[in-house]
Amino acid sequence: MALIEPILNKKTAERVEAQIRSGGRNTPNLLFQGSLLAALLFALFVLGVLLFDVITDSWPVLSERFGDFLASPKRSSAEASGVFQGLRGTFWIGVAVILLTFPLGIAAAVYLEEYAPDSRLTRLIDINIRNLAGVPSVVYGILGFTLFVSLFNGVLGDREITLGRTTTAGALTLAILALPVVIITSAEAIRAVPDSLKEAAYGVGATKSEVIRSHILPYAAPGILTGTLLSLARALGEAAPLILVGAVQGRLGSRTGFFGLEQLGERFTAMPIIITGYAKEPGSDWIPVTAAAIVILLLVVLSFNAAAVLLRNRFESKREG
Amino acid sequence: MKATSLAKLLGLLLALVLVAAACGSDDDDTEAGDATDEATEESTDDDADATDDDGAMEEDEDAAPADAGACAAGNINISGSSTVEPISTKVAELYEEVCPDTFVTVDGPGTGDGFALFCDGDTDISDASRQIKESEAETCAANGVEYTELLIAFDGIAVMTNPANEAVSCLSFADLYALLGGQSEGFENWSDASDLGASLGSDVAPYPDAPLDISAPGTESGTYDSFIEIVLEGIAEEQGDEQLIRQDFAGNAQDNVIIEGIAGSDTSLGWVGFAFAEENLDRVKEIQIAAEPGGECISPTVETIADGSYPVSRGLYIYVNNAKVAENPALAGYVDFYLGDGYTEGVTRAFGDSGYVELPADLLGEAQAAWESAK
Repeated sequence: MALIEPILNKKTAERVEAQIRSGGRNTPNLLFQGSLLAALLFALFVLGVLLFDVITDSWPVLSERFGDFLASPKRSSAEASGVFQGLRGTFWIGVAVILLTFPLGIAAAVYLEEYAPDSRLTRLIDINIRNLAGVPSVVYGILGFTLFVSLFNGVLGDREITLGRTTTAGALTLAILALPVVIITSAEAIRAVPDSLKEAAYGVGATKSEVIRSHILPYAAPGILTGTLLSLARALGEAAPLILVGAVQGRLGSRTGFFGLEQLGERFTAMPIIITGYAKEPGSDWIPVTAAAIVILLLVVLSFNAAAVLLRNRFESKREG
Repeated sequence: MKATSLAKLLGLLLALVLVAAACGSDDDDTEAGDATDEATEESTDDDADATDDDGAMEEDEDAAPADAGACAAGNINISGSSTVEPISTKVAELYEEVCPDTFVTVDGPGTGDGFALFCDGDTDISDASRQIKESEAETCAANGVEYTELLIAFDGIAVMTNPANEAVSCLSFADLYALLGGQSEGFENWSDASDLGASLGSDVAPYPDAPLDISAPGTESGTYDSFIEIVLEGIAEEQGDEQLIRQDFAGNAQDNVIIEGIAGSDTSLGWVGFAFAEENLDRVKEIQIAAEPGGECISPTVETIADGSYPVSRGLYIYVNNAKVAENPALAGYVDFYLGDGYTEGVTRAFGDSGYVELPADLLGEAQAAWESAK
């Protein structure tokens, strides 16, 4: 009896009625909505300022010598400098991440979700991978230095030329950095596959591997793709691990072409490193060059993000259709 | 059914790689053409700033085929001082035109980091904005790395403040010690240092009552070490001050950040390599320096640094690994060019239009002789 009394209370009834009549637009509600909007606008504003600043700074370079800028290495004069070697390094790092991390990460995720017994060990592994994903990237740089530069010194390229600091060492380091994120996102996408779907497949006599190939992976594909491409974008934007692995910030003596495989055993640089190198140069004529390099890196990373969104939408619409 | 969806997934990934590849192959083509562009571009550059040096350069290029025997293919790794990096880079670019098969990689993490690599036998040449320290030389000796020290240029250290700071135009070493030495720790205002400055015989003290915002290099920088050695060490010893320099400012390895710091406060104080200050004269003011209180105030210029009258200047060095010279003919060719045909342009045009101060003929002769006897 006491429970229903408040609703019968006249005051409450009035308030409820007022709220319904006003369509929920009372002041506290509006304030709350407004503050959420402000948070969004603030984030967009910061992004907008950054983009505006970088693009206006870089315009002289991008509008006047875009092709030349993409095709030139770093030189002593700002007017002749470009991002060729950085793009080249970033491309090969991307290739390594795609070829190594994606299959390894997805396979590990499938094992963890579908095969691993629900034991203490599995849970320990799971927690460890989650922690690894949060480890600062510099730590991966130290790992990469110990593992690929010192240990594989001379194996990944001619030691006299590279000191062990090769494109391969850099690419492997970033591949390791991306691996935990790929495993986690893939595992989550696989976990989200409805049990009814799997049970239906088992019901018609499919084996476990058939279920994984024909039902789980295709259904989880959008989620896996989004996660993997986002982790790729993150790996391509990393500078700190590469600095430790010995990416060259200054002049890189190499004229290997964009696809020349011999560079895997040569010293290297990458877009974020090139940007750091340009930012350190004295004199105002380097500002547009630095900004232009930032724009190019943003374009590379954003295009991967856009690809992730497009692919996800495609897969999702297919799944529903 | 299952096969097709997997194939589609793979196909999409492949398409992605191909898109990236397509963008890439574009670059590749242009790069191939660029090698020739580069050569023409740089030679027109040379023509554009036609000076006596360029006349000499062209002769040298003509003479190059005769020297072609010295043009060995090979790789050279250089690391060390970010102050010397532009010289080594400029010389490498010039040398590339003469000997396109020598690949020179130049990095500039700092003099100390450079020596760490050099004494491990990792690099062929170490750029340095100070002479090698005893501890570093011991590491080199322990690892059996023998080297040749070559003085290649002079660089002044510019002491700077904001252009708006009209109260300060000339400081002596005593003033700089009062403001920046070990005993100045905790001084947040220029005037906090007035008593100390006066006790050291400063004729500038008392200093203005204004916030003292310090923007200067950090410990990893050769410029930091050189400043202590040239300016602060002498007075610190007299004062029995073992700390040499105040520890309560955040040093920065990046010269641009130091310049930003100086430009960011009206009453800033700091120091940076002369060439960097000259590049930014619209944002910073170089302070004249007197070695003694009451001594002659001297502005940093190419002339005062070359003749040694500007008190805060230092030598820039390259250290060459002797064993690597013997086994890598490309290295000998590069150092020959460094001290020979590429020298003047490499040093004075290290930043394109500007650069460092050339050695006088006798000192350059000494460096060349040292190199000849080493190789």
